[in-house]
Amino acid sequence: MPPACLKRLTLAVSVAGLAAAGSLTAALADNHQPAWAQGRSAEMADSPLAPHATPLTVTAREDIPLDHLRLPDGFSAEIWAHGMPGARMMARGDEGTLFIGTRGIGRVYAVLDNGGDEREHRIIAEGLTQPNGVAFKDGSLYVAAINRIFRYDDIETHLANGELPEPEELTEAFGLPDDQHHGWKFLAFGPDGRLYVPVGAPCNGCEVDPDTHATIHSFEPDGSDMRVEARGVRNSVGFDFHPETGELWFTDNNQDWISEHGPNDELNRLSETGEHFGFPYCHGVGVIDPELGDADACNGTTLPAATLDPHSAPLGMRFYSGDMFPEEYRNAMFIASRGSWNRTLSAGYDVRVAMISYDGERAGMSPFLVGFLDPRENTFSGRPVDVLQMPDGALLVSDEQNGAIYRISYETPSYME
Amino acid sequence: MPAPQRAPLRRALLASGTLAALLLMPPALADVSPAAGLPLEEQVEICAACHGSDGNSTRERTPSLAGQPPLTITNQMIYFRERLRQAEEMTPQARGLSDAEIQALAAYYAEQPVAAPAGEPDADLMARGSELSRSQGCASCHTADYSGREQMPRLAGQREDYLVHAMRAYRERTRGGPDTTMIDIMRGVSDEEIAALAHYLAHAGQ
Repeated sequence: MPPACLKRLTLAVSVAGLAAAGSLTAALADNHQPAWAQGRSAEMADSPLAPHATPLTVTAREDIPLDHLRLPDGFSAEIWAHGMPGARMMARGDEGTLFIGTRGIGRVYAVLDNGGDEREHRIIAEGLTQPNGVAFKDGSLYVAAINRIFRYDDIETHLANGELPEPEELTEAFGLPDDQHHGWKFLAFGPDGRLYVPVGAPCNGCEVDPDTHATIHSFEPDGSDMRVEARGVRNSVGFDFHPETGELWFTDNNQDWISEHGPNDELNRLSETGEHFGFPYCHGVGVIDPELGDADACNGTTLPAATLDPHSAPLGMRFYSGDMFPEEYRNAMFIASRGSWNRTLSAGYDVRVAMISYDGERAGMSPFLVGFLDPRENTFSGRPVDVLQMPDGALLVSDEQNGAIYRISYETPSYME
Repeated sequence: MPAPQRAPLRRALLASGTLAALLLMPPALADVSPAAGLPLEEQVEICAACHGSDGNSTRERTPSLAGQPPLTITNQMIYFRERLRQAEEMTPQARGLSDAEIQALAAYYAEQPVAAPAGEPDADLMARGSELSRSQGCASCHTADYSGREQMPRLAGQREDYLVHAMRAYRERTRGGPDTTMIDIMRGVSDEEIAALAHYLAHAGQ
């Protein structure tokens, strides 16, 4: 572990001193910025870069940009479900219900897969603070909002009877921090039956307690027996476990305002419990943090297995183990990138496929689903957030911008038959 | 922190007990806005009771809606409807309005001309407010003429007492909502500074 640096602390103390001395306005100019602007230099103060607002309203089916999408030959996309503003992370119940988390709109959706073309969806929870995380196990739906965790038992039975079960609140059992900044949670069960939960850094860049923040934790499903699985992870919002080795692979979003062209976002592999992935001292392929890192900042930290474009925001990712896609996709990862805001030339807004090296330690990355980003105009029409494999081997992709779920399927092109 | 707001739905579902009923029901049954389902002209009359017949409010601490960017009104109405922003007056007005109804109202108010503010600007307050706005970076989101953009509201021509009320509520963290940007901005800003900012912004562009 690199030594802690005291620069930030010194700054905080001096600002507090200024305020106490009555120079409040001067202090405000330094300190009172929205969370996303933290780390922006003085010369960038008038930069137009800011996060893109997510629509909170329904996108009409005819306005969903299905015809923008491009995939490799043989693959095609269709609209599988729509009309769910802010649709993000996905989890599938044993009976086929698709549960979908959101952020700003505070809802959890359930899509009842009745096999028809027009699937019905229900709002099963609302008024929550960024209920991003959803996971399903043994008949129960787990929902993680920023400040609360719930378990809905026998959820699919209740939905089939036209009811919603009263959730069990597990917030105290998990005892997770409730910071707003990077506090939205991803949830997934590991092959060990434990529930994995990331806790992002409560900042753009700052010193953190390595046991509580910038981590991936795991718990027994009831919230007991907490373990820190990974440290130095700035903000992971997606992970999955290798179908054969069981290893945890995860995406990580790197720091803003350091550069348009860096540091890269990351795909990581956890090879050892408690491994350190660099934040806040060492980013991406080995970029030393300009404020907090010293010359040794990258010593003893694990570098990524693969990188993605800086600021491209890789979020949901899953291994592919289905039979529908060609053999080369088996045990590859699909990674949804929501797309950048902290660079003038946009990047991401796509789904990439990562193929693992022979030794299982690295991955190569290439485009799989593109077209939401128009590079000529530097505009975007959709924002992929998560991917999910269906029992038939098709791949679902959620689009937060349009509140839609696409289904990607494969048929061998005629020229190959 | 409120419980997830779906207890009324659950009771209704248990009473009906059929999936068919579930499919037909809106997200919440307990309270539906008096404006829901009415033609736009009649909806606007309901809003006018507080926000003014032309969207320029004449009521204390009640915001003008005229000239607001459509997304500003849309998002705030959805926050009220979804109970993500706690406001006793507005949530009952927003419950049961469809996205399309909210977007039509937002488009209507965006087109209404902004009335001139009441009273003459005070030169000292204007100078102080201008300086504070620069140091706080208000224009970086609300635009150089404070007419707003997308989800970021118009401040120019807004009621001065409403601006004071809103900024204090952000500072005291009593104004909730999913977007916490203004809570960060207003932390520790004094009443005197808020008064100067509100006066300056209300008269901006005059």
